[in-house]
Parts: sequence; C-alpha cells; structure tokens
Amino acid sequence: MTTAQERPDLLRELGLDRQNHAALGRVLGTGNIAEATERADGTMEATIRIKEDELAWDPSILVMPHGGDIDLEIINDDKNTHCALLPSNGDRKFIWLVNHSKGRATLNLDGPGYYWYSSPTGNDEGRGLTGAIVVLGDVPPEARLDRPPQPRP
Amino acid sequence: MTVEYVDAGEAVDQGILSGKVAGGEVAPPVVAGVNYDRILNAREEPQNWLTYYGAYDGQRYSPLDQINTENVKRLRPAWIFQAGTTGLIAGASTYSFEAAPIVVEGVMFLSGWDGWVWALDARTGVEIWRYKHAVPFDVSLCCGNVNRGVAVAAGKVFFVTANAHVLALDATTGKRVWDKTYGDVRAGESATVAPLVVKNMVIVGSSGGEFGVRGHLDAFDLETGEHQWRCYTVPKPGEPGSDTWPADGEAWARGGANCWVTGTFDPETNLLYVGTGNPAPDFDGEVREGDNLYTDSVIAVDVDSGQIRWHYQCTPHDVWDYDSIAECILFEEDGRKLLGHFDKNGYFFVLDRTNGELVSVTPFVDRIDWGAITRDGKVTPRKYPDKEGEPVHFYPGPAGAKEWTHAAYSPKTGLFYVPVQDTGATATRRRREFKESIPYWGAGVQVDIEDMAGSISAFDAKGEEKWRWRNELPMCASVLATGGDLVFAGEPSGEFNAIDAGTGELRWQFQCGSGHHSSPTTYTVDGRQYIAVPVGWGAWAEGFLPGMLGAGHGSAMIAFALPD
Repeated sequence: MTTAQERPDLLRELGLDRQNHAALGRVLGTGNIAEATERADGTMEATIRIKEDELAWDPSILVMPHGGDIDLEIINDDKNTHCALLPSNGDRKFIWLVNHSKGRATLNLDGPGYYWYSSPTGNDEGRGLTGAIVVLGDVPPEARLDRPPQPRP
Repeated sequence: MTVEYVDAGEAVDQGILSGKVAGGEVAPPVVAGVNYDRILNAREEPQNWLTYYGAYDGQRYSPLDQINTENVKRLRPAWIFQAGTTGLIAGASTYSFEAAPIVVEGVMFLSGWDGWVWALDARTGVEIWRYKHAVPFDVSLCCGNVNRGVAVAAGKVFFVTANAHVLALDATTGKRVWDKTYGDVRAGESATVAPLVVKNMVIVGSSGGEFGVRGHLDAFDLETGEHQWRCYTVPKPGEPGSDTWPADGEAWARGGANCWVTGTFDPETNLLYVGTGNPAPDFDGEVREGDNLYTDSVIAVDVDSGQIRWHYQCTPHDVWDYDSIAECILFEEDGRKLLGHFDKNGYFFVLDRTNGELVSVTPFVDRIDWGAITRDGKVTPRKYPDKEGEPVHFYPGPAGAKEWTHAAYSPKTGLFYVPVQDTGATATRRRREFKESIPYWGAGVQVDIEDMAGSISAFDAKGEEKWRWRNELPMCASVLATGGDLVFAGEPSGEFNAIDAGTGELRWQFQCGSGHHSSPTTYTVDGRQYIAVPVGWGAWAEGFLPGMLGAGHGSAMIAFALPD
C-alpha cells in the first residue's frame, strides 16, 4: 500500500504522469496545480498551456480564490492542433488552438466547487486534456441556513 | 529563433457554433405581456402553457380538444429537439429530462439538466437561444442532475440551478438579468424546482433533504431579484411546531422538509399550497423523536408574508422517506374549496384548503404495509427500521406509490389520473453521525427489482377508483389530461400513451426511444395542437425503478401533432 505522501513518486514510478507509459494517456488530475492571480478590482487572471507531447493542461488544476470573472491566456505549445471548451455562466466558451497558438477566454464562475474543461476533439479528453478549475470560498451569508455551525468532514 | 504565436483570438460562446441563422437568435417579445393577471387566468388562453402546472390550480388539464379519442390514432411526431451531453458533468450518470415545457405564443421555454435553458420555436423545434449555467462538478445531488422547468413573466424566464441559484433571463435573448444565490452548496443544498410566479414575486424551494439541511421557500422580486421573504419548513426552538422535535440537541437544524416541487396557489385564500419533504435522517427516527413538523406535510403559506397559516402532516415521524412533495391539486366539490394530494405513503388526501381540515383519506395503491391511516386520519405505523442492522421490508418503497411526477385532474370528467408505482424496498437502520454535506440517511436501502407493478389509475374526489390502466413497470412520469378526453402518460420503457379519460382504454402509443420522467404539456400554434414531452430516462432510478437502471438515457424534446 502507498500513502498520500508517496503519491508524486509513485505516479512517476508507475508512469501515470506521462503519455503512453502506464495507461495509454495521462491520468486525469496528475498534472501541475497553480493559483490564479487576483487583480485589485477582484477579477482574476491566469495562463494555461499545452506543452509539447504532454496532451495535458498546465496547470491541470487551476485554483481561483473566489467566484467571479477570470481572464485566461491559453497557449498551445504543442505541435498538434487542440481546442478548449470552458465552463462559464451564460454559455460555454470555445476556442480553436492550432499548433503554436495563443488565445484568450473570459469566464464567469460561481463557486464554490470545481469544474472540468477539456479539448473536445478526437480523444484529447481521454488522453489527458481534461483540466479542472477550482473555485474557493463560500456562498453569500444571506444564502446560508439559519442554524448553529455544523460539523464537517 | 523565437516564432510568434498564431493568434487564436477570443473564445466564443459555444452556441454560436450550432448552425443558427443570423438574426434567428432573438425570440419575439412574447413574454413581455405575461403578468400575474394572465397567469391567474391561464386556462382562458389554452394556446399557451403559461405556468408549471398549466394553471395555478395544479390540475395539469388543458381544454384543448383538437386531438381527441377519435383521431388520436393519427398522432405523429411533428418535431424533435435533441441536446445531448458534452464533457464531464455533475452526476453524469444520473441526468434526466424532467421539465414541463412552457409555451407562450409559439415560443417554447424549456430547461434541461446541468444548467441548460432553451428557447425553441414551438412550431418547428428550432433553437432560438440557449443559456448554459456552469454547474460545479462536485455539487451534492440527492437524486440526479435534473431540473423540472422554468417560469415566465415580465419579459423574463426564471429558473434555478443545481448549485442553488435562481436566475432571471431576458426572454428574447437568453441573457442574464439577475442571479441570486439562495442555498448553501457547502451544506449540501441544491435546487431542482420549477419556480412559480405569483404577483410580483418568483417563488422557489430548496433541495437537499438527504443531506440534513433545513428546508425553506424563498421569494424574490421579479424585476430586481431582491429577496422578499424566506419560510423555513422546520421551526427553530421556541417557534410553533418546535415541540415536535427533541428539546435538546440540534435535530431540528438538520431536519429536512425541503420543498423541491412547485406549489399551487389560490388567489381567494391568498395561500400557496406546498408539499414538504422527508425528515433527516430519512430512516433513523430515534435521533429525532416526535412528529417532526413540518416534514411530510402540506403547508399553506401566506404568499405575501411567507408565514405558514396551516399544515396537515401526512406521515408524522416518517422513517420510510415518504416526502409529501407531491402536487396539491385545487378543485371544488359540493361548494367546498378542496385540495387533492396523492402522497408517497400510498394515500390520497383530500383537505379543505381554507383551513387544512381532512375531508377524506383513501389508499390509491394495492400494497401498503408500512402502516395504516384510518378514515379520520389516524396514523398507525406497523413496519419500520427501528433496530440497528435489522432489515425491514415495506410497501411502498422510498420513492413512494407516486413520486414527484404529477397526477392530473379533469374538471370535465371530475376524475384524478394518477401515475402509480407499486414497489417495495428494504431498509436496514445504520446510524451515522451528522456531517455537513455528507449524505444523512441513517440506513442501507435496497429497492425491489422484482415483483413490481404500475398503473394509471382514475379516482373520483371521494377516492373511489373508476378505472385502471395496468403496466408491468411502475409509472414514473407526470400525466396530462385534455379536453379531448385523453390522458397522456409516458412509460419507463419509452412508450408514450394516450388513454381514454372516460374508460382507461389505450388509444395510441409511440415508442420514444428512452424512458419518461417528465411533465408533458400541450399548446397550439396557428391553430394546430401539439403535445410536448421531454424524453430522457435517469435521475433517481435506483429509488423508483432500479430494474431499469441499465436503460439508455435520452435527451429529446418531442412534439406530437395530427397531420396537416
């Protein structure tokens, strides 16, 4: 049995963090984690990219400190064409990413909670191009239940 | 050498890439004139289906009679709208198409699962606009990624999201006008209800009764989204009804009683009639001794103040998961203002809706052994999971003899038409401590996958059964009654049926390719009557029909009409 502390080593040892070693693709959620930057006005920004032959988003888990608007710079450093379908209130945002391209997306997300996004072409999703956006925080005070604080897991 | 990136530009709305014709993404302003008075008199404009039940009385009856018992055999699909799913969504294996299509002057407003809302051309099925709310993948869903429909008024479309927001959209463009959060997803709250517009308010209820939350109704101003009132359905210590909860501890704070199905409304009493959900934990009653008001109750709420005026509890101290969320159908008989309610516990309650007095109570399903209710309303429990680790089998199972899917009432025949589920279940009490956002059932539960039955059953207001159309599988979709003396009812196996409202004979059937778990409606465009039914099996199938857990999902909105 392994432990949580050994996870990065074991992922590498088993080849779960690379293309076509253990699995055919890269197992979801095994990539990098990064936090979005909050601007003075409360909006956020971040860059996500696809590195050559990794078929994974970098970061694969992007963390927003709270709900709201985020501007993403999306870079395809791969020598293949991909795309992105991203969650946003109103409609999902789609962008086509030819080889060595750079684009932008503005998203509005509620949170708290997390959302998946992907490159919905071929089996990019299964090979590893499925990423997560995590939104931290709580719902507004007026939406919470009128009751004493309750235990959580 | 550095090579400049190719400019990929700005990400666009996915809806742009759906074959829309330029200019076709704006709906005519048909909702601009929809107001309280029109909804109050909704049945006077039968070309439209203006509100969730078709009218405030919850009868799910349309006087339209172009399609009738004589010509229904010629009914055929006029159009099909399919949405499908893309990517990873919350409760991906549980989504279901549960909505009741709203139609105003040839435009259909329809919600799907996972935050979808569409405006469609009700004559052709062509999408006019779409709205997609981003729903967190990890939101707590009791019973599937579902939504029961939208409301319309004042130029807006109102709906709730799985992460407990209520939104107003511009009915012509689908663009967001306002967005309010009314539940706490960290506490396990969610939302699935179709909103109800009354006066200048849009009224919604919360979901999450399997997570130990405290149920509530909320009212918001139509124009601004400003919060008007909140009505908790479990009293705090010291409030009326609090003596039905343990005096010590916080069982009340986790008590449930969620209002996850739309209420009905009588303008003369000024009361909303709403069914409340199960207590929590569902099956472990020992941690919440008492009747546990206002769980499993019909509550009458003053629509202006949000105060509970009276209540009638159908299953005191429930330990079978018998939500009383079912519709409260308003009707008159012998000069009395009455309310009919087919409860999960297998009994048909008729109440005086002015004061909550019991008029009659009769069983509407063959097998009931959890307990018995006498004609004067006395409840005697008989089989219940009170011993830790000891399995107890009972009828009906936790999905009830009728789940949320709605009965209909035809004022023309004076009969109620009820989708019946005759299925049992076994619950084994397993105590667990409460933790916010973790399911809080207090039992292991397994619903029978054999020895089940279903029917569309017709009852008069005294509870006397007039006919029964039998089915091998439980009936798990809402019923629609029409002036053409037809009752429309979908089957879990995909058949959509037209049954003679007078005799119970099957007059027409069409296989829709997926099971039914929605609320069909009817309308006309250019004088042609359509029957609209969302088709898409799923949701809490392990609760109401686990024998169909392996059936295919669907996501089709099908409109039927007679040939031109």
